[in-house]
Amino acid sequence: MLLTYIVKRIIWTIPFLFAVSLVSFALIQAPPGDYLTTFAATLAQSGDMVDEQRLEALRTRYGLDQPFIVQYWKWISGVLQGDFGISFEWQQPVSHLIWERMALSVCLALSTLLFTWAIAFPIGIYSAVRKYSIGDYIVTTIGFLGLALPNFLLALVLMYVGVVYFGANVGGLFSQEYQMAPWSWAKVVDLLEHIWIPVVILGTSSSAALIRIMRANLLDELNKPYVTTARAKGLSEFKLLIKYPVRLALNPFVSTIGWAFPQLISGAVITAFVLSLPTAGPLLLQALLAQDMYLAGAFILLLCTLTVVGMLVSDILLALLDPRIRYQ
Amino acid sequence: MKQTQGRLVTAVSALALSAALGAEAWAQTYDEAPQLAERVAAGELPPVEERLPAEPEVVTPIESIGTYGGQLRYGLRGSSDHNNILRMVGPQGLVRWNMDYTEVIPNVAHEFEVNEDATEFTFHLRPGMKWSDGEPFTADDVLFNMLDLVFNDEFAPTPPRYMTDGTPATVEKLDDHTIKFTFTAPYGDFLAELASPLGQHPVLYARHYCSQFMPAYNDQIDELIAANNASDWQNLYLAKCGDIEIPARWGNAERPTLDPWIISEPYTGGAVRVVMERNPYFWQVDTEGNQLPYIDTLLSPIAQDVESLILDAMGGRIDFQIRHLDAAANRPVLAENREAGGYEFVEASSVGGVNMIINLNLTHKDPELRELFNTRDFRVALSLGMDRQSIIDTALLGDGEPWQQGPFEEHPNFHEQISTQYLDYDPDEANRLLDELGFAPGADGVRQLPSGRPIKFQVDVIPTLQPEQVDMLELIEQYWAEIGVDMDVNALERTFFYERTSNSNDHDAAVWGGQASWVPGEIPQQIVPVHHDSRWGIPWSFWYNSGGERGEEPPASVKQRMELYDQARATVDPEARRALIHQIADIAAEEFEVMGVSKAVPTYGIVKTNLMNVPPAMPSSWYYPTPAPTLLTTWYWAE
Repeated sequence: MLLTYIVKRIIWTIPFLFAVSLVSFALIQAPPGDYLTTFAATLAQSGDMVDEQRLEALRTRYGLDQPFIVQYWKWISGVLQGDFGISFEWQQPVSHLIWERMALSVCLALSTLLFTWAIAFPIGIYSAVRKYSIGDYIVTTIGFLGLALPNFLLALVLMYVGVVYFGANVGGLFSQEYQMAPWSWAKVVDLLEHIWIPVVILGTSSSAALIRIMRANLLDELNKPYVTTARAKGLSEFKLLIKYPVRLALNPFVSTIGWAFPQLISGAVITAFVLSLPTAGPLLLQALLAQDMYLAGAFILLLCTLTVVGMLVSDILLALLDPRIRYQ
Repeated sequence: MKQTQGRLVTAVSALALSAALGAEAWAQTYDEAPQLAERVAAGELPPVEERLPAEPEVVTPIESIGTYGGQLRYGLRGSSDHNNILRMVGPQGLVRWNMDYTEVIPNVAHEFEVNEDATEFTFHLRPGMKWSDGEPFTADDVLFNMLDLVFNDEFAPTPPRYMTDGTPATVEKLDDHTIKFTFTAPYGDFLAELASPLGQHPVLYARHYCSQFMPAYNDQIDELIAANNASDWQNLYLAKCGDIEIPARWGNAERPTLDPWIISEPYTGGAVRVVMERNPYFWQVDTEGNQLPYIDTLLSPIAQDVESLILDAMGGRIDFQIRHLDAAANRPVLAENREAGGYEFVEASSVGGVNMIINLNLTHKDPELRELFNTRDFRVALSLGMDRQSIIDTALLGDGEPWQQGPFEEHPNFHEQISTQYLDYDPDEANRLLDELGFAPGADGVRQLPSGRPIKFQVDVIPTLQPEQVDMLELIEQYWAEIGVDMDVNALERTFFYERTSNSNDHDAAVWGGQASWVPGEIPQQIVPVHHDSRWGIPWSFWYNSGGERGEEPPASVKQRMELYDQARATVDPEARRALIHQIADIAAEEFEVMGVSKAVPTYGIVKTNLMNVPPAMPSSWYYPTPAPTLLTTWYWAE
């Protein structure tokens, strides 16, 4: 039953990804002009001039003067063979540019997810069990603040405080000496020393949201007769809590995997931009702004694949965790 | 400011003097940076005397002889900011602009000669000069650049700056260190074209390295293309050797250059910083024979947005920066943190002209609006109908002076009529002119064309380019409403703006920066429509640039100016050239096609207080390009 479901889901992802690739390519092309008009406009903004003849020559070389469908076919047929094309801006194969950044993005997203769970799980339980206590109010206030503050604003404020009061730079994921160094234990430690700042910044709002969800779900369960029964039979309070109501309240945690992944990667774009993190976000944003189609297209396609995979994983986990869920 | 100029002039005359004394410096021995001396001692590098050409360029620092060491930090943005590196490292072409931006002087070439009718240009290279990897730089490199790349249509079309009347120059090697360019027609502007950042092609690529990426030189090119995942040899070539204005130019640490600093950590997609180290073979020395540059390293952290660049500046993590920081809006916050950041302001002086020039579309697709915009008295009425001083006081915080367009009074190219006519605020006269034209006001107060159509049009503007342009336009909108002209400000995203104005000519009117001093090498696009920034006659510029194939044939007065412009470009004598430019300006002043509001005021960047030999003011222009000709090689850190 479950197996057929999984196979069916995987087969369905193929036309879905195809549609996504078409739509995202169309969206990248939708703004007026192309990479080269944007290029000329950006340079003009800094007072630089561009050789018009060179631009025209490049437009022909890049095939930007061809119709949409031809450009799309050129791109997608390459992708099917594992060739993501050349980034116009950097004159490098797209695959060279994205892998390390995607890896760091995934690492950041995973850390943030773990952080979110580590914070939200105990606090959510506490604030449900000790409803309307001082502790609950404090946590709730902090939670609402976390929900209300946009991540990038928090990042900017932290950076400003860091510069003005501590003279420290909070941006980046590595210290200067490790930025270009090959991977080593020391570099991993250095990464850990830096990664907590973006993790905290990115994690606040989703933690706050999860705390609220956990609290609400648990409150629903705590008043149910089976809890009273278990308590009457003398089950210890802790065992009772963890084994029954919490397990039921866990569903939203598992569902988060599906959307948290792509959301953490794309939603972190502005924060990563502000903090100058070497993750996928800033490069994606630049590629979109510069209309560097193949680079942007590859990112969007990868993000969509991640979303699809994340959804699938969370659905399977939910099914394993909660036997009440059935498949058609 | 006055004092500054005096200092600049002294510095330049000292420079000229040192060039004359160059021969004397030859005999002496040279000094080098300690880190290079160590590498010489370790046997990794030949001694400095062998690395320098027989006659290195001797530079007189503007303040004092410097000491070696340290790094210079400036902020880069993560995308489309490669020209920032170009401006810092400098376009090391055959020639360059002097520090004052008044004269073209030798650079990579150590002298040059021009024949009388400006058709032959002979450049003498420096014997013994080397690329940054130690290979000799000779006339063969220039031949390679010109014949194999610039004139090779398979690579890219030949830029017009190497052609006269559509015929490319003939390039000959007279001996190993002498190269001659011959044109079919006089071409006085050629030196200025070579001095501009776009004119570096003759000495951009090292033959011994870059030729391996061309099929003509490499039989196994196909394997190399495949090994590098490139699509064809042109793509491979651009990825490895770059081009003047593409980021890949700074993306390959192996490419030999003639630059003072060479890439060690490249500018690529997703880089977090760019590092450049001194070129051990750089060909300049100071007056005491110390090899330049003084500063070891150029370090540029990559900030994704301008706000974090400002934070970096406040935190003292930027040593010099004009680009990105010099918006008027940043000045208060930068001023407030001067002490904390350890920096002071450096002035980017305007070369002339205005910050915002209004271009009515004289080639409008709509015949009625076209006829209206082509009515001179209508344009005069618009100019008289705005109170420039009050716009300056309100939108520019009093920083400015009413001005139509063109160079300032102290510039030799100053043209009084075109810059100062119709500047007075005279709504009565404006109303009289409009009444006389028969545009009677309708019920809503908006004047109407004889057909009954109200006089209503939009002015396109990019709000992010210079935010104050929108403020100025909104005030102008109110003034024009008072004389019965309904103008709307149309703020557009920059790419859309470009598309709509410069490509498809769909605009009613548009504004653009109008900095201009009409020196050779700069395009005087507001007095003759020959460029895509001439938004008052885009189809005319197409016509001019395509040799009459595309666009629209311009009227006689424009055609006459195009001919004069061609003549000016051919003229080598500065006075004769100025006379021709002034003839163009005379016609443009008579026609009064475009209008400005206020003189372009200087902007301000920052420089660390203990960074020496930085002039307190420098011309701000892409053609110069700021700050390269102030010779960053002579900048150094005070102890």
